[in-house]
Formats: sequence, C-alpha cells, structure tokens
Amino acid sequence: MKEYAVLAKDHIKVDVLEKVMGTAKFAADYRMPNMLYGGVFRSKVPHAIVKKLDMEKARALPGVACVLDHTAIPGKNRFGIIFKDEPCLVDDKVRRYGDAIAVVAAETPELVDEALDLIEVEYEELEAVSSFERAMEEDSPKVHGDTNVNVRKHLEYGNVDEAWAKCDVIVENTYSTHILSHMFIEPDAGLAYLDEQGIMNVIVSTQNAHYDRNEVAAMLSVPQNRVRVKQAVTGGGFGGKLDISVQLHCALMALYTKRPVKMVRSRSESTMVSSKRHPLTMKCKTGATKDGKLVAVDCVMTCDAGAYSSYAPAVIGRAPVHIVGPYECPNVRCDAVFVYTNNPMCGAFRGFGVPQAAVCHEGQMNALAKALHMSPLEIRMINAQKVGSVIPTGQKLTESVGFLDTLIQARDKAAEVMPEALDRLTKV
Amino acid sequence: MKRRGTGVGCMFYGVGNTGLPNPAAAFVQVLPDTSVHVTVGAADIGQGSSTMAASVAAETLGLDYENIQVSWADTMFAPEGGATSASRQTFITGNAVKNACETAMGELKRTASEELNVPEEDLIFRNREIYSCKDENVRMTYPELMGAMGKKGRLAVGAGYYNPKTTYLDPKDMSGVPYELYSYATTILEVEVDTDTGEVTLLSVVSAHDVGTPVGIKMVEGQIEGGTAMGTGFVVTEKIDVDPKTLAIKNPMLSKYIIATSMDVPKIYPIVVSSEGTAGPFGAKGVGEPALIPSIPATIAAINDAIGSSFTSTPIFPADIVKAWQEVQAAAKD
Amino acid sequence: MNKIIVHCTVNHKPVAVETAPNKRLLDMLREDLNLTSVKEGCGEGECGACTVIFNGEPVTSCCVLAGQAEGAEIITLEGISPDGKPDAVQQAFMESGAVQCGFCTPGMILTAEALLAKNPDPSEEEVKLALSGNLCRCTGYAKIVEAVLLAAARRREEAQA
Repeated sequence: MKEYAVLAKDHIKVDVLEKVMGTAKFAADYRMPNMLYGGVFRSKVPHAIVKKLDMEKARALPGVACVLDHTAIPGKNRFGIIFKDEPCLVDDKVRRYGDAIAVVAAETPELVDEALDLIEVEYEELEAVSSFERAMEEDSPKVHGDTNVNVRKHLEYGNVDEAWAKCDVIVENTYSTHILSHMFIEPDAGLAYLDEQGIMNVIVSTQNAHYDRNEVAAMLSVPQNRVRVKQAVTGGGFGGKLDISVQLHCALMALYTKRPVKMVRSRSESTMVSSKRHPLTMKCKTGATKDGKLVAVDCVMTCDAGAYSSYAPAVIGRAPVHIVGPYECPNVRCDAVFVYTNNPMCGAFRGFGVPQAAVCHEGQMNALAKALHMSPLEIRMINAQKVGSVIPTGQKLTESVGFLDTLIQARDKAAEVMPEALDRLTKV
Repeated sequence: MKRRGTGVGCMFYGVGNTGLPNPAAAFVQVLPDTSVHVTVGAADIGQGSSTMAASVAAETLGLDYENIQVSWADTMFAPEGGATSASRQTFITGNAVKNACETAMGELKRTASEELNVPEEDLIFRNREIYSCKDENVRMTYPELMGAMGKKGRLAVGAGYYNPKTTYLDPKDMSGVPYELYSYATTILEVEVDTDTGEVTLLSVVSAHDVGTPVGIKMVEGQIEGGTAMGTGFVVTEKIDVDPKTLAIKNPMLSKYIIATSMDVPKIYPIVVSSEGTAGPFGAKGVGEPALIPSIPATIAAINDAIGSSFTSTPIFPADIVKAWQEVQAAAKD
Repeated sequence: MNKIIVHCTVNHKPVAVETAPNKRLLDMLREDLNLTSVKEGCGEGECGACTVIFNGEPVTSCCVLAGQAEGAEIITLEGISPDGKPDAVQQAFMESGAVQCGFCTPGMILTAEALLAKNPDPSEEEVKLALSGNLCRCTGYAKIVEAVLLAAARRREEAQA
C-alpha cells in the first residue's frame, strides 16, 4: 500500500466527542417551545377497505390540536424510493397491518394515546395475500393494480442450456432465507416545524435527507427548496432508515397546526412498520468440471416482498448480478420474481439481496467441493475472480480485484489463530 | 455432546446502485487560517462518512485531519449526497470531496506556482506544506500560501460531484456495467454446537476484506466486527415472526428478537486487505455491507461441518439443530 | 393527574423534581431535568440504552418509576465529567473506535464506569459480562471492550503515579 499522510491511520472520528459526552442530539432529544406530540392511528387488519372513519371524538378531546386523514394532504399521497406506491395516509385501502390511517397531534404524548383510542374505524375486510404462491395465483386478490408481480428480472450470460453437457458434476439445491429486522438501536423519531420564512423544516433520524426532502415537498405540494430536511444524529440504520418514517406525518401536522410537531416511535411501532429483509427462495443448479472449474449456474429466485415495493427493485437488480459470487463462470442464468403480498414491507437491509445470494452461491460451492472431494478453500481459489475476469453481466474487471488476497490472508491468519479449525477446512 | 465445525464464506459486492446513476456532491472552502469547511449531503449514521470526508479532504489538500470541519446532511446547505446505502459513500462522496478539493486547489496551485516559481504540475501539497517534486528545498508553508492568496484577493473554493461509471443494464439479459468497482471478502470461522440443546457458540473468526485503501483502520475493523456479530445472529438467533392471520409482526421488541450481546461475540480477527485501484478516492472502496455478508454462509457451513447436517435454509435455531443431529445419527445407523 | 415531588441527588446535586406519579425515571430525567443523554431504545429493560448509575449500580431507568428514585443518588452521562472534558472511559471510547452510531454509548459508558468503580482491574471476560445488558448493533462489542480495558489500565497507571 502507498504511504499516505492522512489515510490508513486512525483519527478520532469527527462525530464522537458529542456522543461520549452525552450532548449529541438525536431526533427524540429535540424540544421546541410550543411543541406538539404526534401519533399514528394504524390498521389492525392486513387488507381492507376503510368504510368509515370517525375522528370526531378524538378531535373533541381537549388538548388535541389536530386529527387528520388522507383528505388533509395538499399534494401527493404516494411515496417510495423507486415506485411511488405507499400512501402517507391510507386512501383507497389498507394493504398491511400497521398502515397509517390517521394522525393525531396533541399537547402531551398521553393525550395522543387517548385521542388515538377515540378514533373509530369500520373495515370491509378483503382476503389477505400471505404467500408468494397465493400472490401468483390467477384468482388471488391484487394488492396493487392488476397483478401482484412487483418486479421481474432475467439475467442470461453465455449458453447455460448447452453448458450442462460440459459438466462432470452438477449439484442442485434450494436455499431459503427468512425475514429479519434491522433492530437499529434508536427507534425512528423526528420533528417538523414551519420557520419564519414559511419553510418546512424536518429534523429526523434518516439515511437520506435529500430523498426525504423531495418526498415532503411532493406531499406538501411545494417546491423542494421550500423544505429543509436536517439529519439528526442517527442511531444506526442498516438500510431501515432509508424509507420514510415520521417525516411526512410530522410535516403534515406542522402545516395544519402551525406548531412544531415531534414524533417518537416506540420500539414496537418502529419495528412493526419499518422495512424488513427480503426473504428469498433460490432454486439453484450448478455445474463444474472434474477439476472444479465452474461451468454453469442456473438460479430461480422468488420473493414475497410484502405490501409495498420500497427497495425491492434494487434488491432484485442486485441479487442476480451476485448470484455466482466472486467466481468466474462462463454460463449463467437467473430468473427472479418479487411479488406484493399483505405481509410486512421488505426493503433495504445491509447487503440488498447479496447476503441471500451468498447463502446460495457459498452453499453451492461447498456442495461442489464435497461432490468433487476437494476442500472448500481449494475450489474457491480455483474459481476466484481476478483482474481480467468477466462477471455475468459481461463486465470485464480491470483493476482492484483483491479476492484471492482475502482468501490467502484469511487462511494464513486462521493457520495462526485457529489451526485445528483450519485443518478441517483444508482437508478433504 | 459438543461438536466443533469450521466454515468459510466469501463474497463480492458491487459498490453503489445497480446500473443506475447515483451521484453525490461536496462543497469545500479553505479558509485564511488554513482551516477548512467541507459540506456533504451524505448522512452519517455512525459508520463514519463524515470522518471519511475529512480524511479525504486533508489528504487531497495536504492539510491535517484536525484542520477539517465537516457539515453533513442538511438540505439547506449541503448538496445532494444520495442514500447512505449500497456501501457507496466512501467511494462516491469520497470522490466528490476529492473533486471539490481539487477545484479549490486550482487557485492554490496558481498562487503557489507564482510564489515558488515552480510549474503547477510539479507542486506537492502534503503535511501543511507545498513543495516542488523536483527540488524539495523549494517550499512554502500553508499559512504562507494562504497569506499570498489573501494579498491577491483569491479564494480557495470548490464544488465537486461524482457519478460512478456504470451503464443501464439491458432489460433483456441484464448485460452491461452494473458497478464501477467491487469489494471482496473471505471469512473463516469456527463454531461449537451442543447437540443436546442445539445451542451454537461462535468460537473464533478471521475476516479478510479487500477495501482498496482503508480510510481508517479501526473504522474498517469496527465494520467487520459489527458485521460478523450481525451475520451470525442472522443464522442462529434472529427472526421476525408474522402472525398468520393478522400478518402483524409478533415480536417487534428486543426481548423477543434476539441480537448478539457482548457475551456472544468471540475474538474476531479483522484483516484489512489493500488492492490497487483508481476508481475510489485514493483507491478506497466500501465495506459497510461486505462486513456482514460472508459470516452468514460461513456460519451455516460451520454448523453443517460440526454435525454433518446439510442446512440450506435460515434461520437455524436450536430445535432445528437437535432434529438435524438426530436425523444424521439415524442415517449413520442405517 | 396529581404531581409528586421526588427528592434525590442527580449528578452530584440534590434536586426536588415535580413530576407525574406514572412517569418512569427515564422520563423524569429526560423531560423534567432535560438530561437527554439517557436514551430510550426498547422501553422494556432489554437494550440498556437508558442505563444510569443508581446508588452505584447500573440500572435501566425505563424499568424504574420516578417515585422509586426518592432518596437515590443518580448519575447520568452528563455527570461523569464535571469539568466538561472527557474522562478516561470517554477518552478511551473515542480513541478505540468504540463509538459508531452512539445511541448505546451513554449506557455503555455508565455501565463501564460502574464496573471500574468496583473493579479497577477487570479481566476481558468480566468486562464482557458487565456489558452484557447493553446492546450495541453496530460494533460487535470488540472495540467497546478494548476501550474499557484501556481506560482501566490508564486509571491504574494514574493511581500509581
């Protein structure tokens, strides 16, 4: 490595003094004069049309500043990082447990809870779609529009059908991963207020202030420069704070009340309605020569992505590109289908489908090693990408491919600190 | 019975959005006293993008890390930074900061060139000094340079952005250039499995990550250690349960969704691997997500190695292990 | 609702706090005393982000009613360094890379302070055990444990000198 003046050394991070002194301001730590507290009335059913919503008792409660439903939204009532399919407040129908139907702002958090209890709703319940299989059936209810297919991808590289004949060994397995939660340690929180220039200010725990700004502006129907979003010190995210959380609700209520409105989600509310990791099923067929060289990979990938699209198009774009892992393979096919259901919404979570793909490609490498009586390390080294390798999109890698070095350095360190464990990995 | 198993997990990870534009920008100003303002859009969620921005600015300008003040993620003042996701901020915001600094250095170079009588392309800015690569005795300090800038009425300001060199992928077959650069990693770990209780204990971990050039060593190590803890949890303790009727999450609390504690994480040996590259700022790549990924398949493989099972699905909870062990033993008897 | 008055010592100063009887110690500290370093991560005593030192012991303040603090001596992160400079533990957390998002940091530091007050020379295992009630999702704990051991060593050196 080159000698750097500043890089590749350790410096005290720019944001840690406030964090160790206790003065760092996370979103929940902000307090403003005349501030209201906000809360959300959420659906207790997964799929339903709202027939009647009675907010009058809640509105009549002393100390309640506003109770709003979708009719209060001045601009767009659909948001989402890629497809705009999630409402700020439910208008046509509920698509998951926990969908936001109405919002309340009041003088104290206790009054917010009281007011939420006074809101009454009548549903016309619809059949809930709770699995990939049901979502794909012709007669299934449609969560959005006229198909439950959210997004589909097809990757084709080389000639997979002809390649099987060149394989000495073929392994076929089905892999599946489950739904997980980020469990960032700080539950979502934020605060909004109109400043003296009439600009809507939002201070929020987020991973993308500029995206938040654009969504708030669209919801309020104001130019983007009339909204200021400032990231508060943010207690972790791992992808779970890329979607909108409290930004729109706070801003809507701040607009109506002309007062600052703060929302702090409980752990349960935060986990219930923030995005989750996509559960993937990967049916994979992999072939290699007797020397252990990969010849072909064919994978069918399916996913129940939940009620809203969120980052599904990003995950389905990334997973097929990574389905072979850091290895050379001249023939690759991957078909992926992600569907809408009424399950919890899946979204961005550290790795965007690559952790799921890694469960598959590493499982297949181990299965091949076993079938060929090779060690798991050896088969990886034989197939490792290097400068000049071509990945399954046809891209040639021209520099900075340090994969073999990671294999070698991990092996050498393991030889030093866990020699017996490494033995089991290098023996056949 | 307690049985041990070893697993290896490898991965590569394309840094940035897949086959899509995803730019980020930065503003820089070097002030008369040689302190610096850097403003970026990138949200710092604790991973250290602001520290990265300060480091890249100091390295580029030839100033000290302590000279740099970073502001971030306030849309009133900061330019677009894109999402803090896809392990992209070191690569993309890092390059934006470098570009902004290089623009600010236009006037700095012109002034230093005039003062030192050295062509601009021969000037080196490093450790608060400016000198000629041909003759290191021809030099001036940064305060001297800023003094000269002041006399000439020049300001060192720069805006810069970076958009990774990718192409849209062909909808027919996904061909194209999805990412400009890739991070790589290998994790080797050992577990102990209690075949009676199904409990899995992580014993030791080595995890090697090609980060191109590490911006900060401890920052990279911290990502790897945290990612490993999350990766093993992915396999053996973490799971969202959904009520089959209401489709509500049944365990949205930390007492029922179990993440690793300090007692669950053994000594982890993070290994920082460097590879030469030109795409990232000084060759740096992302590590946020790569830190997590390889420990997941490595944990599955180690459990399979320990008890002779062939798990292909997650999670692998104690009851699954006890059942699998019984099946393995029954099969051995046949 | 009727108010109660809680008399206790917070960060070395005696206080009489007028608060609601249904409030948790966490709320009293954050809302009535504006000690916002005390964080709420779970509200059920699982994550340790709301840890305070309560009569010398690390306690999750979300599980304590405000009224239970009558007569107690309470220390929050704001009370660790009266001179406004980082103490040994805070300094070690910064230097060791023990802080990422920082939301668990106040609780971690207070738990470490309570440990070191009782055991100035803890083993790595003892540090891990002491911190096991404080969840961190970012770091994997390695650098936090390192930081506590570094602070302990520095304090011992200082005591000897």
